Amino acid sequence: MRPYLALARASARSVLTYRLTFVFSMFGLIFQLLALLAIWHAVIGAGQVNGLTWPQMKSYLLVAFSCGALVSLYTDFGMAARIQSGMVAVDLTRPIDYQKARLAETVGGVWIELLVAALGWCGVITLLGTIFWPDPVHLLLFVLSLAAVVPLKFLVVYITGLACFWTQNYLGINWARVAVVNLLSGALIPLSFLPSWFGTVAEYLPFAGITSTPALILAGDLHGLAAVRGLLLQVVWALLLWLLARATWATAVRQLTVHGG
Amino acid sequence: MTGEWMRTARLYVRLLGAQLRAAAQYKADFLVMIFAAVLSQGVGLIFLAALFARVPHLDGWSFWLVALMYAMVTVAEGIGSLLFEGTWRLAAMVNSGELDYLLVRPYPVALQLMSSAVGFNGLGNLVLGTAMIVVALCYAPLQWSPLQGLILVLLAGSAVVVKLAMNLATNAASFWLQGRNPVVAYAMHQVGELARYPLGIYPVGLRVVLTTVVPFAFTSYYPVSYLADGVDATIGLLTPAVAVACVFIAIWVFRRGLRRYESAGS
Amino acid sequence: MSSASEPVIRAAGLTKVFRSPDKAPGLSGSLRHLVRPRHTNRAAVNSVDLTIGRGEAVAYVGANGAGKSTTVKLLAGILIPSSGTVRVAGVDPHRDRLVNARQIGVLFGQRSQLWWDLTVRDSLEVLRDLYGVSRTQFTERLDEFDEVLGLGKLLPVVARRLSLGQRMRADLAATFLHGPAIVYLDEPTIGLDIAAKDSVRMFLRQRVAAGTTILMTSHDLRDIEDVCRRLIIIDDGRIIFDGDLGRAKDAYARQRQLSVQVDAPVDLAALRAGLPEAQVEQGASTRELVVVFDRFAHRATEVLDALTRQVDVVDFRLQEPQIEDVVRRVYRGELLVLPPQGVDA
Repeated sequence: MRPYLALARASARSVLTYRLTFVFSMFGLIFQLLALLAIWHAVIGAGQVNGLTWPQMKSYLLVAFSCGALVSLYTDFGMAARIQSGMVAVDLTRPIDYQKARLAETVGGVWIELLVAALGWCGVITLLGTIFWPDPVHLLLFVLSLAAVVPLKFLVVYITGLACFWTQNYLGINWARVAVVNLLSGALIPLSFLPSWFGTVAEYLPFAGITSTPALILAGDLHGLAAVRGLLLQVVWALLLWLLARATWATAVRQLTVHGG
Repeated sequence: MTGEWMRTARLYVRLLGAQLRAAAQYKADFLVMIFAAVLSQGVGLIFLAALFARVPHLDGWSFWLVALMYAMVTVAEGIGSLLFEGTWRLAAMVNSGELDYLLVRPYPVALQLMSSAVGFNGLGNLVLGTAMIVVALCYAPLQWSPLQGLILVLLAGSAVVVKLAMNLATNAASFWLQGRNPVVAYAMHQVGELARYPLGIYPVGLRVVLTTVVPFAFTSYYPVSYLADGVDATIGLLTPAVAVACVFIAIWVFRRGLRRYESAGS
Repeated sequence: MSSASEPVIRAAGLTKVFRSPDKAPGLSGSLRHLVRPRHTNRAAVNSVDLTIGRGEAVAYVGANGAGKSTTVKLLAGILIPSSGTVRVAGVDPHRDRLVNARQIGVLFGQRSQLWWDLTVRDSLEVLRDLYGVSRTQFTERLDEFDEVLGLGKLLPVVARRLSLGQRMRADLAATFLHGPAIVYLDEPTIGLDIAAKDSVRMFLRQRVAAGTTILMTSHDLRDIEDVCRRLIIIDDGRIIFDGDLGRAKDAYARQRQLSVQVDAPVDLAALRAGLPEAQVEQGASTRELVVVFDRFAHRATEVLDALTRQVDVVDFRLQEPQIEDVVRRVYRGELLVLPPQGVDA
């Protein structure tokens, strides 16, 4: 455990190394938030759409924004660069588990991502008025669900990042993943707005746990047993993806050792 | 005079063709980028469709007209990536001093810059965006006449020019900032994304900014507004004038920047 | 004037001042700079007067940061002078950039002008179109360049796969492809091995013989001796010498080396006492001596006299003054106030 704690601490201190790609992805997120707020404000007005009122929608969109910021600092382009430059060979010689090491780094960087997210919350609440707050029990469920976003999103990013063992073009892979996650996680539009069969399938996919579950819990649209079930689904998917990532990694490394770096 | 223009245009195609040849060595990249572009734009479209499945109007605009705005930005970005992607390389070129060779060749520096890269994602955007425009025009409640068709082409062309000129002008900020990455241009690009939706949904201040300071509203909303005889119909007719103004400003800013170029990095 | 031919490059009072921000490192430094910007001005090129005649081959020499590259960039139209004027074949290289671009060729040894992912032939073809070189002329030139540069083998190779020496040869072809009347070369042999350097020099000599005006900077003394006849030395942005290469040697190469063979072993201590300013060393055997002296401190006959007083000199050889000696000292930054002859005015 100790080497991983050390890695997390190191990455927590060196968050500014990747500040530029971070700033770039934040630009994207902030303007996406701005556009979505404007759209939903115009659509909902004083009424409600699909059972969601304007304060609830603000809560939903702020969580979507936060989940977009989470796990965006490390792993993504940093890991791609290490694989493409062949530096990964050095990582392989270290006496620590690669996957756990990357997760530790990601966790270390979470504080600045949360800081940016918090600024977003303050800004929106100041400018657009209060958001919907659920009761304390659901607030706690929300916090747990948000925490579960970190390993879940990390694993999705990590597995797609492994694609760099096969292609030099991580930018394209990254765009494709962002698009898929945006849609299937509910980051652009709540899953209940999608055609019902499609929305139902999406609810059971791992991506829902990256935005939809915590967002709906905070917005009060997922409550009681349904909220607990959503949280459990996040945990189950995190475990399954952890194993899938291991399997993908094994294949990828075989690729590396057979074909050279 | 026309001969000179022809030579300039021919050489632009020639320079771009060289980049195309260079890029042809990376076929997998080509496919991945096109796939990613289609996926990204497609998801945006699904979002719009899902939204309009529940609500009939967005600020008074029906689905097909909003789709038209959305698609116009997609097409403009596609043309930008496919034919003018090099614009984004200015920051790196200024930072590394790579611009030197461009300055000693008998061809405009800005055109050498813009033709110095090809973004295949643009092909995905262009195909998908054009298809969306065609479909949207078929379904949108528009009055058609030959004149109207001519004006459509003029406005759509001008909208693309506005977008490209804004991209050149904002990238030229790199002459002053001298960083390795086009931070200002990227931020402005994101501002431009706001123009995918009707201007009326934004607060007044933002509307003014998108009309005057960074006139991205002319890349989609105002032209569509004219075609649909919407609230801002007359302003829409100004699009060609705005395009010309943007081009002049972009060239002016670029020239001012070039005078500051210090050829660092060696 | 070093050249009687008609001047093709004229610079008068040429000055380039760079303004660099005084910025403390880190984010806080950047923010402070944003609020209250401070700058330092530094003249990289300081009132340089320069006249180069058509067909001249000029070596432009100076320590790192002395202003060599900046001068080249001012002449090429890449940078705008802070003050002063430049005329290259009658045009202002920056204002009439496109006109100027057709008459000049530029090579920066540190950086390639080839398209990284294209074959050399493809790159040259693109340049052919940019400069509007006719097909026949293009083929003729490539054939001509091929002899010395060995282009043939390089043409089908993608630029990123070329070795440094191959890359430089291809870059030279690119620089001279449109038959420019004036060529600026900034470190054209940097990092090359001896064989590659030789072919670069031979190529440049050929171009000079064919009438091209060349201004080149180099750290390699043989480049200068092999290609150029005129030497300009710049130090801290100012020209401190401008004249014939041979005259530079006379003026600055003060070190003389006398190698002597004697018939009996010598008492070195006594000899050293007699020649206090010189350096006396034992050669390969006890019967060989090497004496290094400043020609302003001792005359050669003086040194020989001191020797013959002790032993019989069997043979001696006075080594020719080397331009290396001058230039090396320039690069070490130890040049020397001008001797009485003064600079060419």
